[in-house]
Amino acid sequence: MLLIRCPYCEAERPEVEFTYAGEAHIARPADPSALSDDEWRDFLFIRTNPRGRHFERWRHMHGCGRFFNAVRDTVTDKFAMTYKAGEPRPSDEEIALAGSATSVGEARP
Amino acid sequence: MSNFRIAGKGRVNRSRQVRFTFDGVDYTGYEGDTLASALLANGVHLVGRSFKYHRPRGILSAGSEEPNALVGTDRGNGRFEPNTRATVLEVFEGLKTESQNRWPSLTRDIGAVNDALYMLFSAGFYYKTFMWPKSFWDKVYEPVIRNAAGLGKAPTAPDPDVYASRFAHCDVLVVGGGAAGLAAALEAGRSGASVILCDEQSEIGGSLLSEPAAEINGQLAWDWLEDANAALAGMPNVTVLPRTTAIGYYHQNFIGLCQRLTDHLRIVPEGAPRERMWKVRAKQVVLAQGAIEKPLVFAGNDRPGVMLAGAARTYLNRYGVKVGNRVVVVTSHDSAWHAAFDLAKAGVEVAAIVDVRGTVPTQLAAAADALRIRTLIGWTVTGTRGRLRVSSVRVNPVGAGGKVGSAETIACDALLMSGGWTPSIHLFSHTQGSLTWNEDGQMFLPGRGKEDCCLAGAGKGRFGLKAAFEDGAAAGAAAAADAGFGVEPPAYHVEGELSFTGVTGRELPTDRDLGHAKAFVDFQNDVMAKDIRLAVREGFKSIEHIKRYTTTGMATDQGKTSNINGLAVASDALKRPIPAVGLTTFRPPYTPTSFGTFAGYNKGALFEVTRKTPIDGWAEENGAVFEPVSLWRRARYFPQGGEDMHAAVARECKAVRSSLGIFDASTLGKIEIVGPDAAEFMNRMYTNAWTKLAPGRCRYGLLLGEDGFIRDDGVIGRLAHDRFHVTTTTGGAARVLNMMEDYLQTEWPDLKVWLTSTTEQWSVIALNGPNARKLIEPFVEGIDLSDGAFPHMAMATGKICGVPTRLFRVSFTGELGFEINVPARYGRAVWEKLFEAGQRFGITPYGTETMHVLRAEKGYIIVGQDTDGTLTPDDAGLSWAIGKTKPDFVGKRSLSRPDMLAADRKQLVGLLTADPKTVLEEGAQIVLDPNQPVPMEMVGHVTSSYWSAELGRSIALAAIQGGRSLQGRTVHVPMPDKVHSATITGMVFVDPENTRLSA
Amino acid sequence: MLLANHPLPGKTIPGDTASRLSIRAAEDTARFSLRIDPAAVQAAGTAFGTPLPTRIGGMTATGGRSALQLGPDEWMLTAPVAESDGIADAFAALQEPHSLVDVGHREVGILVEGEAAALALRSAIAFDVEAMAVGSGCRTLFDKAQIVLVREDENRFRIVVWRSFADHVWGLLQAVSREIALGI
Repeated sequence: MLLIRCPYCEAERPEVEFTYAGEAHIARPADPSALSDDEWRDFLFIRTNPRGRHFERWRHMHGCGRFFNAVRDTVTDKFAMTYKAGEPRPSDEEIALAGSATSVGEARP
Repeated sequence: MSNFRIAGKGRVNRSRQVRFTFDGVDYTGYEGDTLASALLANGVHLVGRSFKYHRPRGILSAGSEEPNALVGTDRGNGRFEPNTRATVLEVFEGLKTESQNRWPSLTRDIGAVNDALYMLFSAGFYYKTFMWPKSFWDKVYEPVIRNAAGLGKAPTAPDPDVYASRFAHCDVLVVGGGAAGLAAALEAGRSGASVILCDEQSEIGGSLLSEPAAEINGQLAWDWLEDANAALAGMPNVTVLPRTTAIGYYHQNFIGLCQRLTDHLRIVPEGAPRERMWKVRAKQVVLAQGAIEKPLVFAGNDRPGVMLAGAARTYLNRYGVKVGNRVVVVTSHDSAWHAAFDLAKAGVEVAAIVDVRGTVPTQLAAAADALRIRTLIGWTVTGTRGRLRVSSVRVNPVGAGGKVGSAETIACDALLMSGGWTPSIHLFSHTQGSLTWNEDGQMFLPGRGKEDCCLAGAGKGRFGLKAAFEDGAAAGAAAAADAGFGVEPPAYHVEGELSFTGVTGRELPTDRDLGHAKAFVDFQNDVMAKDIRLAVREGFKSIEHIKRYTTTGMATDQGKTSNINGLAVASDALKRPIPAVGLTTFRPPYTPTSFGTFAGYNKGALFEVTRKTPIDGWAEENGAVFEPVSLWRRARYFPQGGEDMHAAVARECKAVRSSLGIFDASTLGKIEIVGPDAAEFMNRMYTNAWTKLAPGRCRYGLLLGEDGFIRDDGVIGRLAHDRFHVTTTTGGAARVLNMMEDYLQTEWPDLKVWLTSTTEQWSVIALNGPNARKLIEPFVEGIDLSDGAFPHMAMATGKICGVPTRLFRVSFTGELGFEINVPARYGRAVWEKLFEAGQRFGITPYGTETMHVLRAEKGYIIVGQDTDGTLTPDDAGLSWAIGKTKPDFVGKRSLSRPDMLAADRKQLVGLLTADPKTVLEEGAQIVLDPNQPVPMEMVGHVTSSYWSAELGRSIALAAIQGGRSLQGRTVHVPMPDKVHSATITGMVFVDPENTRLSA
Repeated sequence: MLLANHPLPGKTIPGDTASRLSIRAAEDTARFSLRIDPAAVQAAGTAFGTPLPTRIGGMTATGGRSALQLGPDEWMLTAPVAESDGIADAFAALQEPHSLVDVGHREVGILVEGEAAALALRSAIAFDVEAMAVGSGCRTLFDKAQIVLVREDENRFRIVVWRSFADHVWGLLQAVSREIALGI
């Protein structure tokens, strides 16, 4: 079970309190009727599905109830950082900085 | 019965004798014995038959790595467990055990014919032999093979035990209570950190329990151990868990521990859990799991009486049991010499020490001489004899250039072997930490880790007590420091260390044909060295493939004693170094773990949450038959006087249509939507228009996903300008609220509106039937119920039976209907009051089945039954529910995608069977031409189908391609008995003019 | 007034000794879910008659009324049952946009008390209960049931759970208290 930092509660809480909510930073178009069929299809269905760094949404369902964003590595399953809904996609530097604060040590020889 | 117990040795409690049985024979042992030690004390080595060849097998080890000695255990009261390892099973008075995989008996086993046919059963035998005919697989081959091969039989009765679980958070978790783990726990404990120390054995101490002669800081090992245990017990920040196996190591230092609570008890207290799963989150983890001794690979290495030298030493020193009267030791490692020495000192005849190395440390040779033990340095073992117990060993000198000389036979009743030690890196491997090959020690050692953990002692190749203590203490101190607690680790002074040099053997050299040698690598899965070589000859190169082809390392012991030997044989055959061949991945659980432990409390009544409404108790008392609806249990129907469901539902339907029915609708999801932007939010979420809905009025609401498909529906009432009472389907309540919160929080955070679940705030009593108003009128205060003032789809707040109510005039049956919301705690009392008063109308309680029939007669859909996530509003005939002038709502844009406008989409229609008595199966497929060849073209399926008492015939709803344009057309429904024909109709079967609604 | 019906009417689980563990159904309270922009929290506190906490997990209490902040804009307000209407009236007069919803019947309370209280809760709660501050509360899961957990004192916790989940929580607590009484 992972520990996930809720950016609203400002606390690490157990994964069971959270639900996953898909890829982040996909805003609903302000005027869907202005979109072509292909554009609308892409909005609905096309996701990046990356190997490695993924910007995604979670909800602290059984906690404060808030949706928020996270940067997680889909290979290692490790969270680099979490941030509030509506905040911009963090830069590489911000992710590296947040990641180094939470990274674990190597096994001592 | 022969007695192999040695006076004055061991830690078992000689004052507490226990009686137990094995295969129906009575034996005695002592408190503190394992089944293995107690059987050995009685001279019993033969305990089972092997998996494939049914070869007699004995006890190989003294720990959880045991591959052979698996028994069935009966603890009484239906508590039976197969495949219990005799080497960890603690005996207690009255324990019943039995051998496995033998018939008719352990000593005369018919299946042993497989052993004579062993050349047939080589690697890949099944794949090669049982190729065809295909149909034989299920019916002939597999049942026969499964019956002949295998381990214990699974119990058929339900597990009577209960299980527990517990979460724990600590600074330092120490896995393993041997020298290294104890030292680590002591240092971490002294630092003030919160510490959990777990060990799989019944006693903390690990190898110290087998080393009474060692001296630690001037104290004998067992005295030191007693003090150490007392010190830990005196630290309130330390939790010590014996009988607790760390089974899996998961992300972020989350470790599963299986604690065995009552298996060792003669009398289990009522209600006491058998096992507890600890779910530990540790800031730091110290893995001090020690090392596992490797067998040597030679012909006949699996006979009862052939066992690991270290195990023999443990049986002697810890349990006071000699494993034989005349033993031979064969080894490639120093440590086995100490087993010979200890046994000789205890009066056991040691016929010879055979060491396959060319030279051995001089002090070992000198010590052997002093004990007058014959030593054969640079010799090999090439065979053993003895049907049910080893009786002799065949040994040969190995000359220069590896030439094997002529054989000599030495009589013995036990053969002790050691091929060196394998560090237990299983848990480290669970973390996906990398492993590095240590050429000097011929072993894999932990490399880069991925978690906050470290290893200590023999578990990372630091052999010997001093090394283990100091490494453990350093690891404990470092872990505590990393968790924020400082402490300086002490030095340890140890006397009486074992010698720990050796070589890791390949298969031992022999003068015989290797292709016929029964030299076992994996004892539990009956894999021989020749099987691995065969796999290599047949082209397998990766150890992962060799493993699967030969099944080596795939048994319940996960190859704890066999992996490295298997790898060495494969490496030789492939002529590639071991690290190039690779190591298979270890996976949780470390040792076999009961399903009960994983289930924890979640069995029986606590298996899953069963949600009950406030009225559920009344339904139960009145004989309701229940059905699960999401997590709820709902009354399905109320049979009277031996009625079956069909009769009960027909009666309930009739009562509603003719007079009055009462229905518990409390499970309906309810969401209160409040705020100045409430109507705007509703406009954006639901397809319908809400702005003009007046307070005191309701509207049917339809909710789509952004993909345009129907997600949910329900009646929504407007309580005030800024307040809506939304209802959802029972199963959709949580999902709908989550979806609404998603849009509100992330797409429209500017809207001033808030959502609160009120599902359980309100009990909902639905009254339906022509007499519904007459019943409630006397009980309602503050609401004019006349049709003019309170028409269909009106709602109001007031009082009923003296308690507050939100009263809705709605109907899901087509009859005059009310849904009475009252605060949950009053639900049952209001229900009972109305039920009593309703007697003059013949009020009839009805359940979900009747509700389904009544709504289907009216063509009202149930989302999730008549829709399946691929139906649009138009497909479901609900285009009228779309606010055409609204610029946007969730899902609107999708409704104009080309696929959504196609003419051949499945559309909901009614179906009337040609034979009115035929009730179609829900889910049955529909075809247009019953005579077309198979596979037929399926154009739709039945979504709802019932007997309608009102119409005296069956009715059905179905989703059919272009269905609405096929009105009147005959379609065909293949069912198991025959193909039925039916006519496509409209969806409303009863009162299409809705005259009853406004009665 | 009709008879109120509780899922756990007057129930207790005595445990081994009352000092070590005692579990009982709590008295009914008035309970509201308040949602309001945190910027308006002061006005809401005035309406409630008790200042509201301003961080998630925080609790305030005066004169029988308490407020627990569950989310950035969410508070659980509790008060004696008789004060329910008064609270609703006070908020009706509040000018700031907000949502006050009566959830007094939605949930039931369970009090878990004694030296072994935290231990008992650890059987089914994944976060570090021992480390929870006295006078704080949060929503979490108890086994599969969502609850609000409040640590009222070092050795006293209150579980607030939707009524249909209460049986499950209660049954699990019964099993747990048996273990604790047996000392295993």
